[in-house]
Amino acid sequence: MNDRIERLKSDAAELNVGKGAGRDGLYQSVGAVAMGAGVVLAFVAYQLSLGKDDTRDIQSLQILAVAMLALAVVGAAVFLRYSLARFLRFWLLRQLYEGQSHIDQVVAALGERGTAGDAAGRTTGREVAGTSDELV
Amino acid sequence: MSERPDNGDSGSAGAVAVEPVIETEVPPLELVGVHAAYGGIEVLHGIDLAVAAGEVVALLGANGAGKSTTVKVGASLLRPTAGSVRVAGHDVTGAASHDLARIGVCTIPEGRGVFPNLSVRENLWMATQVTGGLAALEEAAYARFPRLGDRRTQLAGTLSGGEQQMLALSRALVTDPAVLLLDELSMGLAPIVVQQLYEIVAQVAGEGISILVVEQFAQAVLGIADRAAIMVTGEIRRVGTPAEMQSELSSAYLGG
Repeated sequence: MNDRIERLKSDAAELNVGKGAGRDGLYQSVGAVAMGAGVVLAFVAYQLSLGKDDTRDIQSLQILAVAMLALAVVGAAVFLRYSLARFLRFWLLRQLYEGQSHIDQVVAALGERGTAGDAAGRTTGREVAGTSDELV
Repeated sequence: MSERPDNGDSGSAGAVAVEPVIETEVPPLELVGVHAAYGGIEVLHGIDLAVAAGEVVALLGANGAGKSTTVKVGASLLRPTAGSVRVAGHDVTGAASHDLARIGVCTIPEGRGVFPNLSVRENLWMATQVTGGLAALEEAAYARFPRLGDRRTQLAGTLSGGEQQMLALSRALVTDPAVLLLDELSMGLAPIVVQQLYEIVAQVAGEGISILVVEQFAQAVLGIADRAAIMVTGEIRRVGTPAEMQSELSSAYLGG
């Protein structure tokens, strides 16, 4: 067990406290900014290219517009990745909770049914016994 | 198992600290001056708690005393507003809960927390994140809980409450934890099942795992605890051996 405690000590020492916390939120924000900026800059670059006469300027601006569209796509992917991670965690927790409560309800219902069945059985038994006594 | 301290004089008014039994060792889990709040309402008012290696500390108290919140802080599920959480002497306040679980601080939450739609063996697999040696892992779990072995292919949701709690416990144990935080192990279970579970908890502590048990069903846990602490409205009011705590329980639960 001393080995386990030593391992715990070294693992705890290597733990990046604070660095990992809120990382999802940071990446989510970076993704959202990249997505928005990519779309806006692509549109701006395209608009600027419309006002140019020189083909080389037009091509440069259109290449920039395409690059900004790529940035928007990457940003959207990052945003979705970190939004979904958070969403899926909550979804999983909710599934667990709902699954458990549903099963508890079924078990409780079966228990009530069993109790009601037993009571009915006893009642019928008494009635039968009473009837037989009267007959005797 | 470590020697029990003489805590008979620890019952002074106000909050008291739960010091580790083995003073020379760095405790695997330690809460230092922890304050915690839900929104603007503070529910823990300076908790000092340490659990030594292989020690079982029982945290007792009535509903709303702050026991489960203490476990949440210890497991990093809730960030303290002040104070710190230390694991093996290192400040891990604010660490992600999954990181704490990975290094060996394992929590069994109130209400079992098994995956009801997965089988027993799938629940065990979910806890491990390993791709090899699953058979050995399962065998270790079934050796400790033979009843789970008989139900290895059964859906966890269809197990009895006691079996679900066994599964939750074995799922925690297969991760090779150094610290176990147990929140209301006895909830909704028959007394005989609770007794069986606590016998297993005592065995686990004997293997050197530090255990913090939060419990309302005090009599069950006092039988296996090395020390017990009574919480009242977010403070630890009494600390001592289980025998010393017996007489204090009624006043703690009835607000005396």
